[in-house]
Amino acid sequence: MINRPLAIAAALLLLLLLPLVLQGPYIRHLFILAFLFAIVAASWDLTLGLTGLFNFGHIAFFGLGVYTAGILTTQAGVDPWLVIPIAGIVAALAAFVVAAPTLRLRGIYVVLVTFAFSQLCLQVVMSQGDLTGGAGGIVRVPSLRISDYNFARDQRLGYYYVSLVLSLACIAALVAIARSPLGKTARAVRDNPEYAAARGIDQMRIRLTMLVISAIPTGIAGALYCIYFRVAAPEVFSFSTSTLILTMLLVGGAGSIVGPAVAAVGIVMISEYLEQFPDLKATKHMLLAVGIILVLRFFPGGLAQISANLFARSAKTVGATPERAP
Amino acid sequence: MADIIVSILVSGLVLGSLYALMASGLSMVWTTLGIFNFAHGVSMTVGAYVAYEIAQRLGPDLWVGYSILLALVVMAAVGAAFEYLLIRPFYGRDDMVLVTIMTTLAGLTFLENGVLTIWGPRLKQLEPLIPGNISYGLVNISRQELIIVLVAPVILLALFLVLNHTQIGRAIRAVGQNQKSAQLIGIPVTRMFLVSFGLAAALAGLAGMLLAGVRLMTPTMGADPLMKALIVVIFGGLGSIGGSIGAAYVIGFLEAILIFTVGIYWTPSMLFLLMVLVLLFRPQGLFGAKNPSSL
Amino acid sequence: MAAILLDVGHVTKRFGAFVAVNDVTFDVREGEVLGIAGPNGSGKSTLFNILTGIPFGRDAGEIHFRGQSVGRLKPFEIARLGLVRTFQKDSDFKTLSAFENVMMGTWCCGPISASQKRDLASAALDKVGFALERIHLTAGDLSVFDRKRLMIASALVSSPHLLMLDEPASGLTKPEIDALRDLLLELNASGLTIVVIEHVLPLLMAVAQRLIVLNEGRILSQGDPQAVVRDERVISAYLGGQASHAHAS
Repeated sequence: MINRPLAIAAALLLLLLLPLVLQGPYIRHLFILAFLFAIVAASWDLTLGLTGLFNFGHIAFFGLGVYTAGILTTQAGVDPWLVIPIAGIVAALAAFVVAAPTLRLRGIYVVLVTFAFSQLCLQVVMSQGDLTGGAGGIVRVPSLRISDYNFARDQRLGYYYVSLVLSLACIAALVAIARSPLGKTARAVRDNPEYAAARGIDQMRIRLTMLVISAIPTGIAGALYCIYFRVAAPEVFSFSTSTLILTMLLVGGAGSIVGPAVAAVGIVMISEYLEQFPDLKATKHMLLAVGIILVLRFFPGGLAQISANLFARSAKTVGATPERAP
Repeated sequence: MADIIVSILVSGLVLGSLYALMASGLSMVWTTLGIFNFAHGVSMTVGAYVAYEIAQRLGPDLWVGYSILLALVVMAAVGAAFEYLLIRPFYGRDDMVLVTIMTTLAGLTFLENGVLTIWGPRLKQLEPLIPGNISYGLVNISRQELIIVLVAPVILLALFLVLNHTQIGRAIRAVGQNQKSAQLIGIPVTRMFLVSFGLAAALAGLAGMLLAGVRLMTPTMGADPLMKALIVVIFGGLGSIGGSIGAAYVIGFLEAILIFTVGIYWTPSMLFLLMVLVLLFRPQGLFGAKNPSSL
Repeated sequence: MAAILLDVGHVTKRFGAFVAVNDVTFDVREGEVLGIAGPNGSGKSTLFNILTGIPFGRDAGEIHFRGQSVGRLKPFEIARLGLVRTFQKDSDFKTLSAFENVMMGTWCCGPISASQKRDLASAALDKVGFALERIHLTAGDLSVFDRKRLMIASALVSSPHLLMLDEPASGLTKPEIDALRDLLLELNASGLTIVVIEHVLPLLMAVAQRLIVLNEGRILSQGDPQAVVRDERVISAYLGGQASHAHAS
């Protein structure tokens, strides 16, 4: 049995001090990516895993964050610092839009509409070339600065800490929500919607709230992703991005919030390592796909289940399997 | 004006026929297994590439139709293998609907990238079944498109006859209505799953092979038709194969009209908007088939 | 005569050509225990479902609860008015702890503080005799009887005006049924109005002050339980088939 708070404190300290050991822009780049994807995976888990909302359009919130940042900074001259919160708001508004047709639906229809929404976002981005640069995307997005200091300098030190802090803040907030009465009610709705209604729980409101909450960190992560890469490209809406994040969610353990965030770090490392070999790009995606199937088949609880056993706590803190059909 | 209307009609018919081939398989798998197969679009891609590969091996002297027939057999096997590997292990789990969405998404990623690995990103084309165009009055259509328009209803009629008037078809429908009872009266339920996946993959593959004679093939050629099939089944109601086929033609014509009126860029958004409206007012689809009670 | 709490007038529910509940009229009076019996498929559970809107409403008829029409309300709104039900099949929030399961009942309590909610949940658990040492176990790991008690406790948290129990005894052993009977009598003695659907007739006879027997979606007989079970129509339509069932369970 391991002391949980101590383990968390040690991990945080390690992440703070890591840049001392990890010199070189590439390895830091990997961590920055991992932190950003950790936000996306953990917040997707809030709807898909914890609330049991069959949301398969989560990537749209990320993509909207990316393009909000790209468009506002290059076309309206908005400060890069400012577009980060704005992207969160835009994503939240988009969540309201998706919610309108989805919340009354159940099961597979929710999947279809949310999925179609993400594809629609892609289509709109591709077609509105004047604003979005079409297939070529937006380039030369301004970098984060404080007076003259560019955050990409010193081997991306600034971006390392910005993404680390944002990631920790978002994940802490998501965990707090998951443990709050709201989070428990969301699990109740997932576990047994009819029983939940019989206890006076307004499921539509719970689902709407969770969808909007989950969109905010995702939009924020998207904006930072865009500013860090200084590019907004339509690939962010693609199947591959969705599959990548879905892998993190499943490997980490759906419904556990922290699990997907932790898994994000490992999967980004593997995925980016394979990215070095252009010939293996397709192979990488095939491996991820096989990974998804193996995890679903043999470790349906993911890392969270394994760590729950490690910390000698019962499975009650883990959302076990993500959802059963309502 | 008349020529515009005719060309809208022709292109609507072609699109509707393709979507009907796609959506009927999607809907059939949903009604029998209660599974939404996201890899259905990539079956179309794989079908086109398999036919292309066979045609290459057989050489240019042999009519492409033989390659297509062979490729259909291969696709049926691919569909059955897909069911065996990606669906069967999860059967009976209480979160099966969600899990199989993820496994079929994974299957989609795997196959799409597999096609990319084997055949590369370069555009390819399958020879049309009969080359050339036909002009008749205002109608101007390639022979291949004419074949698509004519073949689709024949295939769908055959599917309808198989489902309604053969033993295996009745077994598939029985499984769709009540698996437990079907099992009790001695229908080999799991074999019906294989059959229905195989049949669906062959139908999608056929759509891909026919389309590959008109347009260029890419590893992602199945993505857009999947999107359209998705909109089609929402319009038609997932649980009804007939409704899906009807909706396929409606969407085909709508798309043709929209492309002419609002342009190719806004068409997807308009279709999406229509889908949302349909869902808001008729969640069971335009043609009113009832949803399976489990969902 | 006590005030009428729930007034059900001519409610009907159809599934296609099948009429599951057919023009049913009855009322529930404040402070009583009303039993509802009937053979399988007689419309008992469907009646519960349409009264609470879970998972569907009625096709026709009027339902008034405490003078307010509830036929068009959403299920959670009906629950918040104080008409709270349990389910026949085991229902729980399987990944939540026993205590958290009961806490879900506080959504019907209106705006009260978190500590008040916890106090109410503890009191409700105590009332149904749920063992204190098991309140942090995950609901999915509990026994059938414990989960039934959780379901009742989560209903009691908000001090509902009417508790509707759908076959609370199904799946329970004889001693557990006895404990359940005592609980129901105790709750009723403290002033709670209860409607209970049950297959297990002895339990119904022990707790109900009035009995309604449904058959093929219609009320066959209602009134004093002793008189109802002697009604010839009831005996022929229901008890003939039911006697063997009750015996088996």
